Amino acid sequence: MSRPIRFLAAAAASLLLATACNSASTSASPQDKAGASARGVTADSITVGGIVSKTSSSGYSKADTDLGAKARFQRANDEGGVNGRKIDYLGAEDDGQDPSRNLAAARKLVQQDKVFSVVPMSSVTFSGADFLQQQKVPVFGWGTLPAFCGPATTYGFNGCLVPSPGGTITQSWPESLAQALGGAKDRSVALIAADSDAGKFGIRTYTQGFTAAGFKVTYAKASVPAAAAPSDWSAYTGEILKSNGGKAPNAVVSVMQTPQNIGLFTALKRAGFHGALSDPTDYDPGLLAKATTAQALDGVYVLVQFEPFESTSPAIAQFLKDVRKVGGADVRPNLHMMTGYLSADLFLAIAKKTGRDLTTATFQKAADSFSDTGSPAGERSFPKGHTQGFGCGSLVRLKGGTYEVAVPFKCYPAIPFT
Amino acid sequence: MGDLLGFVLSGLVSGALYALLATGLVLSYSASGLFNFAHGATAYLCALGYYELHSGFGWPAVPAALLLVVVVAPATGWALDRAMFRKLAKAGETAQIVATIGLLVALPAAGLWAVELLRDAGVSVQPAENQFGLPGVGPSPARSWQLMDGVGVDSDQLITWITTAVVALGLWVLLRHTTLGLRLRAAVDNRSLTELRGISADRLSSIAWMLSSALAGLAGVLATPLLGLSAHDYTLFLFVSATAAVLGRFASVPLAFAGGLALGVLQNLAAGYASFADRITGFRTAVPFFLLFAGLLLMARRQRAAGTAAADVTTPDYLAGASWARRWGPWAAAAALLALAFYTVTTPFWSGLLTQGLAISLVFVSFTLVTGLGAMVSLAQATFVTGAALVAGLLMSHGWPFVAAAAVGTCVAAVLGALVALPALRLGGRSLALATLALAFLADQVLFQLGRLRNGDAGWSVPRPVLGPVDLADDRAMGVALIVLLSAVVAALSALRGSATGRAILAVRSAPAAAMASGISVVRTKLVLFALSAGLAGFGGVMYASYNTRITATDFTALTGLVWLAVVVAAGLRRPQFAVVAGLVFAIVPHLFQTYVTDSAHLPVILFGLAGLALANDPDGYCAAVSVRLRRRRAEGAARIERTTADLPSPTPRRPLAAAPATSRPPALELRGVHAGYDGASVLHGVDLTVRPGEILALLGPNGAGKSTVCRVAAGILQPAHGTVLTHGRDGTREGPVRRSRDGVLLAPEGRGIFPALTIEENLTLYLPGRTARGQVYERFPQLAARRGVLAGSLSGGEQQMLALAPLLQRPPKVLIADEPSLGLAPRVVDEVFAVLTELRAAGTALLLVEEKAAEVLGLADTVAYLSSGRVSWCGPRAEVETDRLTEAYLGIAAPAGTGPGGRTDVDVDGEVAGRDR
Repeated sequence: MSRPIRFLAAAAASLLLATACNSASTSASPQDKAGASARGVTADSITVGGIVSKTSSSGYSKADTDLGAKARFQRANDEGGVNGRKIDYLGAEDDGQDPSRNLAAARKLVQQDKVFSVVPMSSVTFSGADFLQQQKVPVFGWGTLPAFCGPATTYGFNGCLVPSPGGTITQSWPESLAQALGGAKDRSVALIAADSDAGKFGIRTYTQGFTAAGFKVTYAKASVPAAAAPSDWSAYTGEILKSNGGKAPNAVVSVMQTPQNIGLFTALKRAGFHGALSDPTDYDPGLLAKATTAQALDGVYVLVQFEPFESTSPAIAQFLKDVRKVGGADVRPNLHMMTGYLSADLFLAIAKKTGRDLTTATFQKAADSFSDTGSPAGERSFPKGHTQGFGCGSLVRLKGGTYEVAVPFKCYPAIPFT
Repeated sequence: MGDLLGFVLSGLVSGALYALLATGLVLSYSASGLFNFAHGATAYLCALGYYELHSGFGWPAVPAALLLVVVVAPATGWALDRAMFRKLAKAGETAQIVATIGLLVALPAAGLWAVELLRDAGVSVQPAENQFGLPGVGPSPARSWQLMDGVGVDSDQLITWITTAVVALGLWVLLRHTTLGLRLRAAVDNRSLTELRGISADRLSSIAWMLSSALAGLAGVLATPLLGLSAHDYTLFLFVSATAAVLGRFASVPLAFAGGLALGVLQNLAAGYASFADRITGFRTAVPFFLLFAGLLLMARRQRAAGTAAADVTTPDYLAGASWARRWGPWAAAAALLALAFYTVTTPFWSGLLTQGLAISLVFVSFTLVTGLGAMVSLAQATFVTGAALVAGLLMSHGWPFVAAAAVGTCVAAVLGALVALPALRLGGRSLALATLALAFLADQVLFQLGRLRNGDAGWSVPRPVLGPVDLADDRAMGVALIVLLSAVVAALSALRGSATGRAILAVRSAPAAAMASGISVVRTKLVLFALSAGLAGFGGVMYASYNTRITATDFTALTGLVWLAVVVAAGLRRPQFAVVAGLVFAIVPHLFQTYVTDSAHLPVILFGLAGLALANDPDGYCAAVSVRLRRRRAEGAARIERTTADLPSPTPRRPLAAAPATSRPPALELRGVHAGYDGASVLHGVDLTVRPGEILALLGPNGAGKSTVCRVAAGILQPAHGTVLTHGRDGTREGPVRRSRDGVLLAPEGRGIFPALTIEENLTLYLPGRTARGQVYERFPQLAARRGVLAGSLSGGEQQMLALAPLLQRPPKVLIADEPSLGLAPRVVDEVFAVLTELRAAGTALLLVEEKAAEVLGLADTVAYLSSGRVSWCGPRAEVETDRLTEAYLGIAAPAGTGPGGRTDVDVDGEVAGRDR
C-alpha cells in the first residue's frame, strides 16, 4: 500500500502547487474589471433571467411568477425598452425548491447565459444568493428570505421581509386588522404558528407587532406540527377559545400555510367561533374555485402585501392588462404573477433611473438613492428596502365567493424590533 | 372527557389511513421480502389520478375512485412486481431498499410527467400542482355533525371509517377463509416450500402486490382532502404508517391494522396533551417519528441483528490480485485529466458544476463505508452533513479558522454517527434503515430547530478556505483541492478495507457471532464504522457548504439523504471511487438533460429513480456492471469450452444399471449427467440417477458430497448447468419447482416441510383441499386431530415431520424426494417416518431418499447409490452393498488414489472409476 500512497502524495503535492500558482495569478474573477460589469448588456438589449420553483416535491408551484415577469418586460419592450435597450428575458430556471439546483441555476444564468440581472427570484430556498452577491449580480424577488436582507445587490420588490432584532417590524398587518375591527383598543387576538424555529420567530415578531398596535395578545404559540397539517384541530381550538380569560378572543391570527389555515379555520368555525380570522397567505383566487376552501376561508381577512387585484387603481388595471396580453384573456391573476410582475417592475424602474451607461456599478449607484411611489408595492425606497419592508399592505376579505377589499392598500410606519 | 373522545375519534381518521397503508406494506413485504418505500408514492399517484378524473374530466366521484382502486392501482402493482420486485426479491437487501427509494422519486415524477404530456397533447387536464381543499369521495365541502360539545365528525371522516372497516372485514375474510388467502399466508410463512407444493409463489407475489397497491390507492383517494396533491406529504405519511407495520413485525396484517389505528389516536393525544414540551421547538412535529423510532427499538427485537449480511452477499472482486496499475491506473489518469481540464478546457460554469459534483462526492463516499463495507443502510447521512456544516459555520462566525472549524464539525458528525449507531447495535436491514430515517427526521424537526445552531433561515456563512498560497475562492482551485482530498479518501478507504479493521468489519457483517467468538467486538466495530462514515459525511458537508459559501438548516433534509443513497447505490458501492462517479453524475446529468433533451424537470427525476430499477439486474451498480458483465461473459465462454472438452469423450456408462430389478417400468425420475453448483462453485460433476415407481432409491454419502444439491436439482429449485432431468420420461430440465411439483415430483426438504405459522388444519388443507381426505388423515393420526387448531410451529420435531408426510398418504405423489427425513428425530419417530415411506412405496410412489443414517436406510431401500464429491461412485441393488464400500463412500475415498477426494477435473479418470466399479 505504500506505493499508491506515495503516488498519491506526489500527485497531490504537484496538483496543489499548480493550483497555488494558477489561483494566485487568476484570483480576481475575469468579469470583475474595476468592480463593474456590463455582462449581458449590449447597445440595444439587456439580458435577464429568473429562478423560480416551478415544480417541487411538495407539489407547490410558483410557475406563474415567470408569467408575471414576462408580462411586465413585454410591456417595457412594447414601450420601447429601457433607455433604448430592449429586455431580453430568458425566462426562469426551475430550481425545484432544491438548494443545489438553486445554486446551479444561479451559476448557469451568470456564467453561461451571461445575464445582467436575475429577475425574478422566487423560491423557498436561495442558496445561489452568496454566489450572485459575489458576482455583484442584481437580484430581484420577493424578500421573504434572509438573503434579501442586507446585501446591497439583492432587492426585495417590497423590501426585506425578514426582520432582525435591532431592526424594525412592519405594521401593515396589525394596523390594518385594527382598522377592520374598528380599532385595536380592548380587542384581543390569538396568534398561532407552526412548531418550528420559523414559527417561533413569527410568533415573536407578531406578538410585538400586535401589542404595539394596541391589541391584547391572549395566546401566542408555535405549536402546530409543521410537517403535515393535523387532521384534528380540537386540541388547538380548545385552548384558543378559552385563552381570553375563559372566553374566545376577538380575532385569531394564523401565521401558517394554507393547508393548516384551512384546517384551523374550519375547526374554529365548527366550534362556534364568530370573531375575526386572519392570515397572510391565502390570497389566491384559485382557492375560491373549490367549495371546501371557499367555505373555510369565507369571512377571513387576508393580508396582501401589494395592491389587491380587486382594487380599482390604474396600476392594477395596467397589471391585469399586461398579464392578459401575455397569458391570454382568461388568465386568473394570482400572487405569483404579481411577485414576478413587481420584481420586474422594480428592476425596470432602477434600470431606467441608471440611464444609458449601464453597468453593475452604475446600477448599484442608482439603486442606492432610489425611491418612488405609486407602484402596487407601495412606497419603494432603497437602501431602506435592504433592511426593512416598505410596510404597505391591505386586507381583503372573502365574502360570498369573491375577495373584497376590506382595508385599502396603505403604508404604515414600522416599529423597532427588540 | 369530551376532549379525549374528540381526540380519539378524529385520531381514528388518520389512524384508518395509516392502517390501510401499513396493511399494504405488510402484504407486499410478506410477499417478496421488500419494504416498499414507494408505497406512499403509489398512494399519491392514485390521489393525482382521482383529482384529474374527478375534477379535471368531471367524472362522478365513486366510479373514478373505483376505477383507480380496483383497476389502476392493482395494475400498477402488478406491473411493478413483474418488472422489478420479483427480481429484487433475489437481490440483496440494500439493493431492495434503494430500488424502492428510487421508485419513491420516480413514480410521482412519472405521474406529473404524464399530466404534462397530456396537457401538451391538448387534453384538458388540470394542472397537477399542489392544491388544498380538494374534494374527496363525499360531498364537498364536507358536511359535519356535532355529536356533543367539542366532538364532531364530518362526511369525509365518516367515509374513511366506513371504507376502512369494510376493507378490514374483506381482508379478514380473504386471508382467513379463502384458498387464496391460505396460500398467501403460506407463501409469507415459507416461500420456497409453497413452490415445492406446486403453488407459484411468483403469482402469489403478484396478487399480494396488486392488493397492496390497491390499498395504497384507496388510502390515496381517501386522503386527498387531507393531504392534497403533495407527493412529499404522502411519503411522510407512509413513513409514519411504517410504525404500524413495525408493530405488526412486517408479518401480521391484523396487528399492523390495529397498530395503524392506535398510532393515529396516540399521535392525536400526544399533540393534544404535549403542552409540557412547548419549550422544545419541533416536539409536536416530531411525535410520529418518536413513535416510529420507539416502535422499532421495542418491536424489532427478534430481527436479525447483524447488518444485512445474509442477503447482501459481496460479489467477488474481479480485480483482486490485479496489478496496482490496472486497479488504479485508469482512475488516477481520470483524476489527473479532470484536474488538468479545470485549467484548460472547462468554462467557469462547467468548473463550478464539476466542483459541485466533487464536493457532493465527498459526502457520497461515506456511503461506501457504512453501506458498502458495513452492509448497514444509513438514511441519516444528510443529518451528519447538516450537523457538521452548521457547527463549522457557527464556529467560523466566532472567528475560528476554517481548518479548526471543519475538524470540530467533522468530530461532531462522528459523535452524531455514533449516536445513530446505537440502534444499529440491535437492529439490522430495513429496521435499521427506518430507524436511521426516523432519527434523521427527528434531527430535522428538533435538533436543527435550535435557534442557536441554525441561526434562523439565514444559516451561517462558510467562506472558502485560504491555505497559505492556495486560495480556494477560485472554483478551479477548489475543484483541484477536492480531487486531491477525494484521492486521499479513496486511497484511505481502500487501505482500510484491506486492513485488520476492514477484515473485522467484514467479519461482523457476515457472521457477528463468529466474529465475536474470534475476539472482535461487534459493538465497537459498528460504532467505529458509523462514526467514521458520519465523520466523512460531515467533512464532505463542510466542504460542500464552503463550495456554496453558506449552510442553512434546510439545505439537506432527511429526504435528501434518501435520494443520495439511491444515487450512490445505483452507481455502485463496491469501490469508493464509484461514489465519485455518482457525485459527478448527480451534478452534471440534470444539466445535460435540460440543455439537450427536454425542458421537463420530471424526466431526469424519473431516470434517476429508475436507476434503482437497474439494480434488479446489476445489484452492484452501473459502474461495476461493465467489468462484472465482461468478466461474466468471459467466464461463461471459458466454462463452455471446459464443458465441451469434458463432453468430447462420450460418457461411458458407469453404473451396473442391470442391477435394477424392474427395468420394465419406466423411470419416474431420472437425472442424466447433471452438473450443478452455486455461483461458479460447482458441486455436482455428472450425476446419473434413476428412480422407478414403487421403489426406494437411497442416496448415501458424507457431508458435503452434494446430496442436498441433488435434491434441489431433482425438485427443480436449482437449474443444472449441464445435463438433463427427466420426469416420467419427459425432459423437464428447465422447469421450476412449481411445474415439477404439478408433475407429481414432491420434495420434502431438509428440516421440516411445514408452515410453522399456519395451523395443523391449514397445513393439511394446502395439500388436501377436500374435507374427507383430511378427516382420514386425522383418523390415521389422532395426535394431529386433537390439535388441529394449533400452530404447526409449536409441534415437536417428530410431530412436524409426521404432519409433513401424513397428507401424502392420502394422495401419494408420483415421486417423493425426501431430504434427510430422519434428521434430529428420536429413533421411535424415525421408525414411524420410515413406515410412512414404505407405505408410500407400496402405493406406487417412486422415492428418492437421502440419508446419512446409512444403516437404518439399508433396511428400507431397493437401490442404493453412493455420492461422493459430486459424483455417484457406486449404484446398485441393496443386496450388493458391501460394508467396505459403504465406509469408503462415507470417507470419500471411493475414487482411485490418483485423483484424490476432490478428483473431478478429468473425465478419463472418471471413466476409469466407472470401469473399476464395474
